Amino acid sequence: MKLLEISDLSTDLGGESQWQSVVKHISLTIESGQTYCLVGESGSGKSVTALSMMGLLPENKFRHPSGSIKLFTDNGNGQELLGGDNALMRSVRGGKIAMIFQEPMTSLNPVQTIGDQLDEALQIHRPDWTAEQRNERILAALKEVMIPEPESRIKEYPHRLSGGQRQRVMIAMALICEPALLIADEPTTALDVTVQAEILKLMRDLQRRYGMGMLFITHDFGVVAQIADIVGVMRYGELVETGPTSEVLRNPQHVYTQSLIAALPERLPRPSRPEKAHQTLLEVNDVAVHFPVRRGLLRRVVDHFRAVDGVSFEVNAGEVVALVGESGCGKTTLGRAILRLQDVTRGQILLNGQDITHLSAKEMRPLRRQMQVVFQDPGSSLNPRLPIHTSLVEPMRVQGIGANDTERTERAAAFLERVEMPTDSLWRYPHEFSGGQRQRLAIARALVLEPKFILCDEITSALDVSVQAGILKLLRQLVDEDNIGMLFITHNMGVVDYLADRMLVMHKAQFVESGDTDSVMQAPKSDYTRTLLAAVPRLDDQYLASVST
Amino acid sequence: MTEQALNRHQQHRSKPWGKQVLAALLKRHSARIGLIWIGILVVIATFSPFLASSHPLYMLVDGKVSSPLLAHLSAQDWVWLAAFIFTVLLAKWSRPFWQKLLLWLGLVAVSAVVANTLASPPTLIIYEQYREMQAAGELDQVIYAPIPYSAKDYLRDYANTGVEAPLEATERTHWFGTDENGADVASRMIHASRIALGIGFIATGIALVIGTIIGGLMGYFSGIVDIIGMRLVEIFEAIPTLFLLLSFVAFFGRSIYMMMVIIGITAWSGYARYVRAEFLKLRQQDFVQAAVACGLPLRSILFRHMLPNGLAPLLVATSFGVASAILAEATLSFLGLGLIDDPSWGQLLNQAVQSSTFNWWLAVFPGGAIFMTVFAYNLLGEALRDAVDPHTNRSRRA
Repeated sequence: MKLLEISDLSTDLGGESQWQSVVKHISLTIESGQTYCLVGESGSGKSVTALSMMGLLPENKFRHPSGSIKLFTDNGNGQELLGGDNALMRSVRGGKIAMIFQEPMTSLNPVQTIGDQLDEALQIHRPDWTAEQRNERILAALKEVMIPEPESRIKEYPHRLSGGQRQRVMIAMALICEPALLIADEPTTALDVTVQAEILKLMRDLQRRYGMGMLFITHDFGVVAQIADIVGVMRYGELVETGPTSEVLRNPQHVYTQSLIAALPERLPRPSRPEKAHQTLLEVNDVAVHFPVRRGLLRRVVDHFRAVDGVSFEVNAGEVVALVGESGCGKTTLGRAILRLQDVTRGQILLNGQDITHLSAKEMRPLRRQMQVVFQDPGSSLNPRLPIHTSLVEPMRVQGIGANDTERTERAAAFLERVEMPTDSLWRYPHEFSGGQRQRLAIARALVLEPKFILCDEITSALDVSVQAGILKLLRQLVDEDNIGMLFITHNMGVVDYLADRMLVMHKAQFVESGDTDSVMQAPKSDYTRTLLAAVPRLDDQYLASVST
Repeated sequence: MTEQALNRHQQHRSKPWGKQVLAALLKRHSARIGLIWIGILVVIATFSPFLASSHPLYMLVDGKVSSPLLAHLSAQDWVWLAAFIFTVLLAKWSRPFWQKLLLWLGLVAVSAVVANTLASPPTLIIYEQYREMQAAGELDQVIYAPIPYSAKDYLRDYANTGVEAPLEATERTHWFGTDENGADVASRMIHASRIALGIGFIATGIALVIGTIIGGLMGYFSGIVDIIGMRLVEIFEAIPTLFLLLSFVAFFGRSIYMMMVIIGITAWSGYARYVRAEFLKLRQQDFVQAAVACGLPLRSILFRHMLPNGLAPLLVATSFGVASAILAEATLSFLGLGLIDDPSWGQLLNQAVQSSTFNWWLAVFPGGAIFMTVFAYNLLGEALRDAVDPHTNRSRRA
């Protein structure tokens, strides 16, 4: 049964005289009990499409040159949503169409209990219900989303819940009035892969039970494969391809879809890995980082939070070692400890055989050029107030590379060419670059010091797949050509598969598994690794062949 | 890559952040109004001896040309003029702002030393002599300043002069009237603009330097440094500035420089809080961590990578700080504890209510000047807050 029909929808954003066309002539139909997945890279207009449906775009900052959005009721009457007045939209929002947002940490009100927030939606949309009826419904809703002990959770505040649990509460809130259509805007992007798998399963089950339609927005083809019935691929505000999921994934027709799927790290052609002489670059022996937990008036140390608890490994020159784990497992703290940005509680870190564990900041300074780092967030990895030139030349000057600034500028320009950036980037500021370009610049900053070891902390997780593919290729090339040792922190198994020679799996501050990438991927020994690998499918040939039609 | 190619690429240089903020600032009407008023005030303060003085700018006596005004310029007048010229010259020079600032401070210090050793205006000043000479017909040619009365010219030759309303006297023209000593109010206000500007900039400058250093160290090192620093901040915030000023005036006499220093060393705690908060936030940013990982020295991390990024709220606080320093001085002068003989807007206000009758011109003109100046700085601060706040520039994003 037809539930929602969007025909020829266009949305412009801007204001006054400047309008930018963000969504261009989109038509799609969602039926009851069906999941329609909009997939596309950032800026493709998929979120704006969803916000247009809900009438949630910023006032006076948008217009619709064409199109209609019709919501159909059970008896087949269509109701036009586009340009609907506030009273109509209020009755639709929450009541007939519900929405879940990406960021679970900010989408719940921190000063209200979970019960109160759920109750508010019911009070508005079910005004004739008594308090007992509402309370019963809230309990049932929390049970449905499998929150443990819902009776006590009702009285708790959002900060007591983990990200996954908050997203479950958000789902409960969205479903509490039994909407006909659920819009989910990247609901699992901020979650760990194992949590993501559970949430996706929950959403699928609930959708079946209620028979509602779902519009699911994502950038991740792994998620598409798990949840979608119909998939629509968006680029630059246009819907370039639509079709049943299994067909689109296995046999994409449009060039753009083909390129997107080909850019998935698990589908990138494997580079040949030259055999290297076994030369240990970095050795980590039984390293632990404990943070004291202080309580009471006198700030006594009552306990220690064990962020990293006794791990040992080594990284060889010309080798990529992947460190895999979920958020909070201590992988970033370990990385900071190796760089001596964080003091270790016990253990030993050896760089080229030299113990650097307890060197002072002054003794560390000349060694800094041998170990460099690239961080996760492209938004904050470069100083926004300095042109790229200064960010690249200053470290060289401090470390005594190059005779004068002209020579250093030439070196910086050469490294920009190496990371495939135009040399006139030198005189620009970070805000003028996209996320992927900024990560390339951050890599260039690490490279100008000619380090022997580079730590990459989730450097591609904020990027689109096609951009990520380019960066991964570049990294592998740099490692092979310059014989650099690299520790690559990530949670994406596809990236590990493509890039890493060896992998370490970290769970609760300790390593649960380590070994060659291929052998761990093919035959994981620990249960945790198996869960991680099963959480989100890698769209390799093997998987695609198994997708049922 | 050749030198030529590098130079070609330099032409694609983008605007630095400072210039972008300045451009965004100048787009706002409130900022323009504020800047225009402050600009007018700077010009008036610099050229005050040429705008209001009893000494003729040019006179011809018995075929001898002389300029008593130039001869009577004090060392302070010369320093103001020099500072103004340096500002105009350095503005055109394409160098980083802090280099220009350091050079400017150096040049002003040098000119202060030179002016104090070389300039020797006559210590005995007789304002009446020119008017007497003119009355006697001895002056062949004479050019006076637009307001021909010095700030301390009490018009003793007219005898019995006191408070006079604007344009009340028939033989003289006092646009803004006279004060209780018989001095021209317009002239006193013009000369007082130096104090208003000077106390605002110097007191806030002292507070800014102390606050940035202490706040920066607290924010960067945190831990025990932070705990000690914050207690120091709390101690200084508990000191009542006005009371401290009153006690210092009582013990050490009245000095404008002492006031500047006292306002400066009691006002830094606010800036320290701002800088500390910004640094605590910035310390965890990736680019700061990357700077540490590159082995950059602490000086560079603090002042090149962290300070410019934490400057925005400080700039806003500074412009409000200047306004409150001006108000503090005006309050003190109004209470009669300011400078005795030197002109000040607050002191004129004081006279408006001291005599038995209410002298409206002594309240309206100096009060208006204080209001306009404080208002201008507040407008500027408000506009700066908008210009540096990234959220107001985000409307175009999808």
